[in-house]
Amino acid sequence: MRAGDRRWGGWRLPAAIALAVAFLLPLWFMVSGSLREPGTPPPRAPELVPRPISTTSYDQAFDLVDLARHTLNSLLVAALTVPLAVLVASLAGFAFLLVGGRARALLVGLSFAALMVPVTALLVPRFTLYRWLGLIDTWVPLVAPALLGLSPFYVLLFYWSFRRLPPELLEAARLEGMTPLSMWRRLAMPLVRPVTIAVALLAFIASWGNFLEPLVYLFDPDLYTLPLGLRSLEALDRTNYPVLLAGAVVATAPVVLAFVIAQRYFLHEDRGAGWLGR
Amino acid sequence: MSRLALEGVRKRFGDTTALDGVDLEARDGELLVVVGPSGCGKSTLLRCIAGLEAVDEGAIRIGEREVTRMKPAARNVSMVFQSYALFPHLTVRDNIAFGLVVREEPKRVVAERVAEAAKLVGAEGFLQRRPYELSGGERQRVALARALVRRPDAFLLDEPLSNLDAGTRVQMRTELRRLHREVGSTMVHVTHDQVEALTLGDRIAVLDAGRVRQVGTPDEVYSRPDDLFVGRFLGTPAMNVLTPQAARPFVAIPEQTVLGIRPEDVRLTADGVPARVDLVEVAGSDAYVFLDRDLVARVPAAGRPAEGAEVRVGFDRGAAHLFDEASGRRVEW
Repeated sequence: MRAGDRRWGGWRLPAAIALAVAFLLPLWFMVSGSLREPGTPPPRAPELVPRPISTTSYDQAFDLVDLARHTLNSLLVAALTVPLAVLVASLAGFAFLLVGGRARALLVGLSFAALMVPVTALLVPRFTLYRWLGLIDTWVPLVAPALLGLSPFYVLLFYWSFRRLPPELLEAARLEGMTPLSMWRRLAMPLVRPVTIAVALLAFIASWGNFLEPLVYLFDPDLYTLPLGLRSLEALDRTNYPVLLAGAVVATAPVVLAFVIAQRYFLHEDRGAGWLGR
Repeated sequence: MSRLALEGVRKRFGDTTALDGVDLEARDGELLVVVGPSGCGKSTLLRCIAGLEAVDEGAIRIGEREVTRMKPAARNVSMVFQSYALFPHLTVRDNIAFGLVVREEPKRVVAERVAEAAKLVGAEGFLQRRPYELSGGERQRVALARALVRRPDAFLLDEPLSNLDAGTRVQMRTELRRLHREVGSTMVHVTHDQVEALTLGDRIAVLDAGRVRQVGTPDEVYSRPDDLFVGRFLGTPAMNVLTPQAARPFVAIPEQTVLGIRPEDVRLTADGVPARVDLVEVAGSDAYVFLDRDLVARVPAAGRPAEGAEVRVGFDRGAAHLFDEASGRRVEW
């Protein structure tokens, strides 16, 4: 029996299936609901497959609100935010690794403290600052947090991953004359690829699903991101569930797709070992 | 090739003194083995030479250059780590080439030198593989090739054989010796394994609690230990140590001294001092005979006495060493 077979023997497989079903059912009902005729009331009992199947709700959703533009806007904001967040968070995490004991403890402590501050508590001061800088009604307030790694959590994630690398690897690189930046680029980053993918995915989800900040900082409908588009859809026709669900599918699909693409990196067998007798 | 010298090197970590005024020299082209128990400061010594740790006092010279405050890369030394420190995301070829690529050497030079180093250590057969696909011995070869390829002034080897199984360790020890003869560079090899030290080194330095106890050829250090620590650290089983009272039946020694006698110098003889055999351990061709007189004798396994047997033991006065009881220093007699 192979190790993989043993791992999925006994109670684990049924438990995994139950968990997967619990998570998939809401998604399934969202998709099946979006395929109902527009204007029809919600079914009295759970309906796995609607009869008849119709894609008219999607046409209406895109007609009522400029979902295509909002989707594109969200993609553009995410395309700016995600690489910047990964870059800054990984550089900061690597810097944590390189600085000495007390400074590192202080930085980690400060990151934890910053993690405790709710985003809503920063909305007013941030709004004041951006207004003073003349950046309200632009995408800058949505992208700017990425200049700080988007969240201290991502910085700490990178730091913890870099800390797992054997110190001898970096020492060997120092002996060969590598600069810290070169070590980060050529050694550290290739060795924490799964973490990079995870942070990129989390940053994408955070940016894609960000409702509060676009609501506060954006006024021009042409700049609206998808969450604001969904809110407009709801405001226009609150009871038309198939249309609302069609909008929700459009908003959810990229995240699901991103996770499907990224998961092979999470599940990839750890070949990072190799430096010890493993 | 370069001489490597440490002059009065001190290194502290908080209240702990790792190196306490170390004076040590590896001569041009010499393989110097630094041996000592765990925690004696031998790895710190190597890291100070490499520049991975800053020394608190003293000077380090490589060739004619004083490198004490230089950055690691500027010292032009290569280090082989205990854990090999191979880059897991790179192939063997890229691992070996790493130092040259970082220094932006021309591609032709990189290819030539990598081929040369790989041939020298016998790594030509697995250049396209990655570290996780290699055995311990193969990884060790790659680590050695990576150190060789840059043609440094000195090689620093930090317990490079300790992660290998016993058979591979013996094989790699021989290869390391051959490699040193072929390359002819100055090498400082750190180990806690006395057999490795005695078989590998042109000279060995015994380190204890951050101090160099003795430096000399393996013969000198083994046959004429400068102090009791060196005498007891080298040799299996450890040197017997007898107080004046315990030594009296064999030979009279002054008070405040102790007598050291190696197990192989203790003979079971017809005209010796009576003793009873407490325990016999057989180690291949030899047997260790534990006697009730605080003595262990190493005898051929074929002629070993039985446990509980009454025997007579003795040794030549010339084979015994005398040490000051308080300082442990050798006393001539």
